[in-house]
Amino acid sequence: MNILEWTFVASVLTATAPVVLAALGGLLCSVSGIFNMALEGQLLFGAFSAVVVSHLTGNAWCGVAGGVAATALYSAVLSVSAVTFRADPVVVAVGLNLLALGLTSFLMRRILGTAGTYTSPELRGLPTLASLGLGKITVIGPVLGPQSPLVPVAFVLVVAAAWWLKRTRSGLRLRGIGQHPEAAESLGLKVGPYRHGVVLAAGALCGLAGAQLALGNVTLFSEGMSAGRGWVAVVAVMLGGVRPYRVLGACLLFGVAEALGFRLQGVGLPQQFADAAPYVITLLALVLASVAGRRRSARLEFT
Amino acid sequence: MPTDSGPAQAAAELVGVTKRFGPVVANDGIDLAIARGEIHAVVGENGAGKSTLMSILYGMHRPDAGHVLRNGSRIRLRSPADAITHGLGMVHQRFRLFPELTVAENVVIGAEPARRGALDLAAARLEVERLGELYGLRADPLAEVGRLPVGVRQRVEILKALYRRAEVLILDEPTAVLTPGEAARLFDVLRTVTETGVSVVLVTHKLTEVLSASDRVTVLRHGRVTGSFVTAETTADELVVAMIGRSLGTSQAPSRTSSRASAEPYALEVRNLTVRDRDGVLRLSGVSFGVRPGEIVGLAGVAGSGQRELADTVTGLRPPGPGDSGEVLLSGEPVRRGREPGVAYVPEDRHGRGTAPAMSLAENLAMGDHRSPQLRGRIGLSGRAVRDRAKSLVERFSIRAASVGDPISTLSGGNAQKAVLARELSRRTPVIVVEEPTQGVDVGAQEQIHALLLEARDRGQAVLLQSSELAELRALADRVLVMYEGRVVAEIPGDEAGDERLGAAMTGAES
Amino acid sequence: MSRDVNQVMSRVVSRLMDRSGTAVLTIAGALALTTLVMVIVRVDPAEAYPALIRGAVADGNLEYTIASFVPTLGMALAFAIPLRTGEFNLGGDGQMALGGVVAAALALRVPLPSGIAVIVPLAAATLTGALVAGVSAPLRTRLGIPAIVTTLLISSPAVALASYLVRFPLAEAGTGNAQTPLIPDDAHLPSVGESGYVTLGLPLILLLTAAWLYVDGRTVLGYEIRATGANREFARYGGVPVDRLEISTLAGGGAFAGLVGGLIVLGPPFRFVDGALTAPGYTFTAIAAVLLATGRPVVVPFTVALMTILQVGGQGMERDAGVPSQLTQIMQGLIIVIVAVLATVRHRAGKRAVAAAIRADAPEPGEAEARSTEPARAGQAAGVTEAES
Repeated sequence: MNILEWTFVASVLTATAPVVLAALGGLLCSVSGIFNMALEGQLLFGAFSAVVVSHLTGNAWCGVAGGVAATALYSAVLSVSAVTFRADPVVVAVGLNLLALGLTSFLMRRILGTAGTYTSPELRGLPTLASLGLGKITVIGPVLGPQSPLVPVAFVLVVAAAWWLKRTRSGLRLRGIGQHPEAAESLGLKVGPYRHGVVLAAGALCGLAGAQLALGNVTLFSEGMSAGRGWVAVVAVMLGGVRPYRVLGACLLFGVAEALGFRLQGVGLPQQFADAAPYVITLLALVLASVAGRRRSARLEFT
Repeated sequence: MPTDSGPAQAAAELVGVTKRFGPVVANDGIDLAIARGEIHAVVGENGAGKSTLMSILYGMHRPDAGHVLRNGSRIRLRSPADAITHGLGMVHQRFRLFPELTVAENVVIGAEPARRGALDLAAARLEVERLGELYGLRADPLAEVGRLPVGVRQRVEILKALYRRAEVLILDEPTAVLTPGEAARLFDVLRTVTETGVSVVLVTHKLTEVLSASDRVTVLRHGRVTGSFVTAETTADELVVAMIGRSLGTSQAPSRTSSRASAEPYALEVRNLTVRDRDGVLRLSGVSFGVRPGEIVGLAGVAGSGQRELADTVTGLRPPGPGDSGEVLLSGEPVRRGREPGVAYVPEDRHGRGTAPAMSLAENLAMGDHRSPQLRGRIGLSGRAVRDRAKSLVERFSIRAASVGDPISTLSGGNAQKAVLARELSRRTPVIVVEEPTQGVDVGAQEQIHALLLEARDRGQAVLLQSSELAELRALADRVLVMYEGRVVAEIPGDEAGDERLGAAMTGAES
Repeated sequence: MSRDVNQVMSRVVSRLMDRSGTAVLTIAGALALTTLVMVIVRVDPAEAYPALIRGAVADGNLEYTIASFVPTLGMALAFAIPLRTGEFNLGGDGQMALGGVVAAALALRVPLPSGIAVIVPLAAATLTGALVAGVSAPLRTRLGIPAIVTTLLISSPAVALASYLVRFPLAEAGTGNAQTPLIPDDAHLPSVGESGYVTLGLPLILLLTAAWLYVDGRTVLGYEIRATGANREFARYGGVPVDRLEISTLAGGGAFAGLVGGLIVLGPPFRFVDGALTAPGYTFTAIAAVLLATGRPVVVPFTVALMTILQVGGQGMERDAGVPSQLTQIMQGLIIVIVAVLATVRHRAGKRAVAAAIRADAPEPGEAEARSTEPARAGQAAGVTEAES
């Protein structure tokens, strides 16, 4: 393979990383029995808070930490409403997505003093792995070189989550809680704390995703910059169910679509089509998977 | 013959337990001692207080008075988790298993073996295999529970309790979902379990089981203990007297004056009906029968013997499948798909199908009739007509409700059920299909509901009554059809439908 | 006798208190939290709120508020109609944009006699919106994919397609602006009043809202739709064609979104300006309004009015007091969250009695197959569909 194709692989990974981080958060919530549709808003909020903290501290890693912490806090609204008050998580999510859009646009004007897009030479982005000395190695160099360190972290986290769910006590208990909360409760498992925990963790992951989006993929913040990636993550969770590697697969599909769209734009395809491609492909994947799932689930039922 | 209070120190003992729900006294000063290593049956009719008592023993309810002893010392049970720590285990009628976890994971969850912080699945698997070997509870530790047959799932529930070192194992109606073969195997297992010193509490209303499987029996009636027996020294008659306050022979059967029915042609006729589910599994196989106007035909059978499919087909709710054959005729005409207007239907699942809990009582009562001209005002569906009709139904069927505008979910179980019956019976359809009409309904409402069904019969409606309460079938049905594995295996006249005969047919013994 | 009357009165009063109480509490909570946000970022509420009110109702602004009320109310119906069967239509933007583009294309490219030059594009826009939303219906009824996801996923490409059409095939030649040329005079919506901002769209949408309220509350169709939303299986059992209703309500909602697109394009400034339809955020303003109405359709026009005042007032606030207008978006988001929480808190007491029974009827583990692939049926738990009646 030549350099051009390796850079394509690289752009797929870049596009996939924020989505897979957010989807991982959605997956954990889904495992615990809460459907988290607020990923879009959390991703946006994460991107914004990462940029703000990086802007204020002049340090990209502080930005990452700030984004993670602030988004976990933002996620507490969902956890308190849906777990403590048992409000419908779907409705809360609709509100939270809107709230994130409003809050980030509003605070952007107040804190960063600009509308639309904020970018500044003083805004510190994340370093690339190449700048950390990884650029020279064959294959790994061109693929991972242009990435921020958060990109490999995203993929490692998928593996870690899969292991945690399958191979630890708390992972097993979380799965049980999602499948039959009453039964779990009667075995003495604390359903509420587990659910609060994963909703907050999902917030933290979305914060990481946002930081990667705003300080890794690019170094700027613009209004609504999550641009539906959170929704793609939601669909990835619907497609992958509670299986981390399937969710990863769905996210990669989106990454390929986005990278391809971007590339085709370079050869003259109108930008609108490139923008639409990831959604169309995600939707098609959802439809195909559901058709296949229908057939399979018929066999899964029992007497 | 009542016996002494059992061995000196019982494995578990309920002392003077009283539990009220509002005005209803579910348990009234109950004493019950479970000896070590015995199978102790707790019997009684529906609503006698068995479930409440077991919920108290398992920490799900707290008694208003009285307490629980374990090995002679008093314990406090605030939750099932407490009960588990005190060596109590329970297998609920509706299993509490995690469908997507494996057998081993289900057994150990909450008390998992671990090695260096990680879950030790190998140890879990070995433990399940060891316990299975020990008690004859064989189940593949790596199988996903959701894919296992019901009988095996029940074994997993028992393994779960034994893994947690349960010394008192409570089983709530364990054979309700089992085939006869599975039930026999279950009792073998329970025997093995008790040999290791574990006590078993068997909650049931099936006397045949009690007599064949238990060591001692405690009978409940209206929340009180009405008898305590050593199984070997008692008879079915004696138990029946304790259960219902009189023997069956002297019971005053309700007037069974449906002789006019015998000559008329069938209102509902099912001919050679065969139905397969989406996977092509046979659900109904060559079912044929008829119900005449003015007749109640009972439908008995272990859950899952095809009753659900039969009701769905007769009412037209089941979309026709490729593997279906045979006919359902309504006064000679084939039944309409989608929902046959000529068949009233009181479904078993009151919350899921029979009502929309959030809608008002009036709106719930309108369903099915909402297209009829009576409910139309000058312009569209008249709110007033809907309410007026609801009010008249509330009155006629003595449904207790604050207002017909309140959500139906505010009604008690009995009143909600009466509302469903009111809606369905008032349509005067030629055929009525009724499933479990008195499930979750208090005793007073039960009588009213029975009277309503008899009234409908006397009006000349044809009633198909599915019930798991054999006493109910005996009291109401002119004939009882027994289903087993998708077939009608017996037809027994109502007055000959004794527990034993029905039971034998339900388990396939008479086919 | 008099005691009965008193009892009835106190029941009525307590019900009213209960209901308006929720709305008041919601708005109060949202205001309090919004004020908190203001204080944190050092905006003076005493300056911002009056500016907001002025921005919405002061001379000259009021007319603009009324003009914005029309699309917001239309989009409210686009969301509310499918919600009655329990489906969330979040794809209003796409349905509206494609409706608008079709209306613009017809008005620009097809010479129509003046009598029908307005009607035909509007009808086509309505149909387009219905088709775009209708795509989600079979995905829901046949494949079980929730409409909340498919409507949203379809929306973005739909907006992108509209944007492409406006920028390229339909673009105004010669200018660099992403907009269509002016549509011919015959296709202009007649204005109502003097300034020209308020068009015939206002009486039209009011009339259609009244029609919807009538259908919902007073007809067999409305009853069947509500029953489907309250309990799908119950409706099916009662002989209601639930799948067909779900398709019609989704398409019906989309029709309103498409109509709104047409109304915007045929009204001032009489052209499709790329982004002009979606930028004001009618779709989500409307969603907040409908959710605030908590399942009482009659209230929808009023909550829409309130939300429109906030939205338009927000722009005035930005002009007058320099406070970013996105503050109103914050308020809308908060309102939705608070509504969701209050809906369950208020119903908790009533539900407790039923809870035991419901728990007993919990599906057996093996039947919980759909859990991971399908979110709970939207809106039922929060009582935003029918649980309030």
